[in-house]
Amino acid sequence: MIIEVKDIRRSFRSTQKEEGWKGALGLLFRPKYQVHEALKGVSFSIEPGSFNGLIGANGAGKTTLLKILSGLIPPSSGSARVLGYDPFQRNLDFRKKIALVMGQKAQLWWDLPARDAFDLLRAIYEIPDRLYRERLHTLTELLDVQRLLGTQIRRLSLGERMKMELIGAILHWPSVIFLDEPTIGLDVLAAHKLREFLRVFNQKEKATIILTSHNMDDIERLCSRVLILRSGEMIYDGHPQGLTQEGERILRVRFITPPSLDELQKITGLSQQLIQLGELEPDQPEESRPVLFNIKQDQIVSVLQAVISRFQILDMGIEEQSLEKVIQRIYSEEKAGSV
Amino acid sequence: MKLQWRLAALKNGFQDATAYRLEFLFEILGSALVPAAIQCVLWYALFDLGGATQVAGMTYMDFVHYTLVSLLFTQVRGGDHDFELAEMIRSGQLSNYLLRPVGVVEFVYIRGVAPRLFIAGLCLTIGVILAQFFGFSGTRMIGAMFLALMGNIIHYQIGATLATTAFLWEESYSLLMVKNMVVNLLSGELIPLNLFPSSLQWIWKSTPFYLYVFGPTQYALGRWSHTEFLIQIGISFLWILFGWAIIRLTWGAGMKRYVSLGG
Repeated sequence: MIIEVKDIRRSFRSTQKEEGWKGALGLLFRPKYQVHEALKGVSFSIEPGSFNGLIGANGAGKTTLLKILSGLIPPSSGSARVLGYDPFQRNLDFRKKIALVMGQKAQLWWDLPARDAFDLLRAIYEIPDRLYRERLHTLTELLDVQRLLGTQIRRLSLGERMKMELIGAILHWPSVIFLDEPTIGLDVLAAHKLREFLRVFNQKEKATIILTSHNMDDIERLCSRVLILRSGEMIYDGHPQGLTQEGERILRVRFITPPSLDELQKITGLSQQLIQLGELEPDQPEESRPVLFNIKQDQIVSVLQAVISRFQILDMGIEEQSLEKVIQRIYSEEKAGSV
Repeated sequence: MKLQWRLAALKNGFQDATAYRLEFLFEILGSALVPAAIQCVLWYALFDLGGATQVAGMTYMDFVHYTLVSLLFTQVRGGDHDFELAEMIRSGQLSNYLLRPVGVVEFVYIRGVAPRLFIAGLCLTIGVILAQFFGFSGTRMIGAMFLALMGNIIHYQIGATLATTAFLWEESYSLLMVKNMVVNLLSGELIPLNLFPSSLQWIWKSTPFYLYVFGPTQYALGRWSHTEFLIQIGISFLWILFGWAIIRLTWGAGMKRYVSLGG
């Protein structure tokens, strides 16, 4: 295994400020602290050359986990080994073999063109000149940014900058790459290019990749394994299709006289999040808007029976649940749980 | 010791500092004009308004020479890269550097010192010309610039150590500002330190700040003997050694508290 994580916990302490003058004075003389547990005993291992998705709602602990694995912060307890190293020892060889790309944090120097930054990285990672030129050519061509190498980073668009960030992060051909929301803010085309590039890089170079993203397209198209964090705990570790094949279905029903969602909630016993109004087809009256029930396979009969016993149905259909919807439900359960 | 990345960092730091040429020039001129103006007002008050002929054993011309030469070393004194370090710790931007296989404190210093080295070269040239004009020794000017560059290292080391308070309190801007104010006074860039009353001379002698500007100026102007200069070089080495040890200690402790905010 290239990454081994055993019972990792990490908590953060932060000051809490109350409102107004009292809060400001209180912070000055008697600060109050709050401890937040970002990770609560997470364990897993990763195989070499695999492409893994790490997902969870905001604050679930994804970035904290990546920071621990890349050696930026130590865990409060538990152990992590990446490429056989303890990341927080921050061994020079370890740092030469990993990369962390944070979509929300610029790693290159804003006032300099990317080429100057890459030249410095070449020296830092001691990449032989010929190899450096080859890699730079390959990467810039794959990501279509060759013409922008001489432009100041701050003058690039978000997508172009993200591509440059990615090149800067992997110019040394790392064995392990941590990608924290690399497609954030990118348009469809730029995200697609970046995704394609990551797929090719993973296949060709056999680099192990852990990707966090809120874009389920990234996860579905790239990852052979998904790890889901919820409030600092690992709640799923397996194939992405496993999430949708576990019997998640959408029951799509059109009524002759549509009932309210409250009524449907009452008779089916399903929570508010699991019943939604579907898309209305063009030129169709509002009455024909379908209702979508996000349910498990074994709930279909009971839900249908309950619905038919009270309302007249125009038509119905059963669809497979999309990964996006499954994740949405998991996130909404997390929110409900945290209230 | 890997030379390759250090040279590349120097080049990169210079490119970064000179990305905006006018800003770079204004920074140099601004930092030269303010101490020069303060000193001119002081000498005018002492000699023209006060009617003094000598102050602390120095004539009006001695003060003029001091002002001219000290300005050269003030330029080399050091940038504000300790502020950059503190801000990096506070904002979590430090993470970018921690991921690279280089020492972050040294890396930031090398990038930051690059424009200073360029300025030091310029100042040395001007200094040698001034030496010819006023009859000082050009060799002394070279030695003095070497001492000023050692002062630059010490200045950064002190700043980098103070910046680690950002690991504890997140913000160390005020502390670094206070340090800079003390440096302004005790480095000799505003007034020659021999103007201090003899009972208070111990204050500047017990800090390394006099090695930034006052020391190099004294040597360049021939007011320190070669022996005194060599002793001061030795003292600078000891300060650098002490700074290196204290940085290792404070950064080692600080890193355990680093939370890498953002992202």
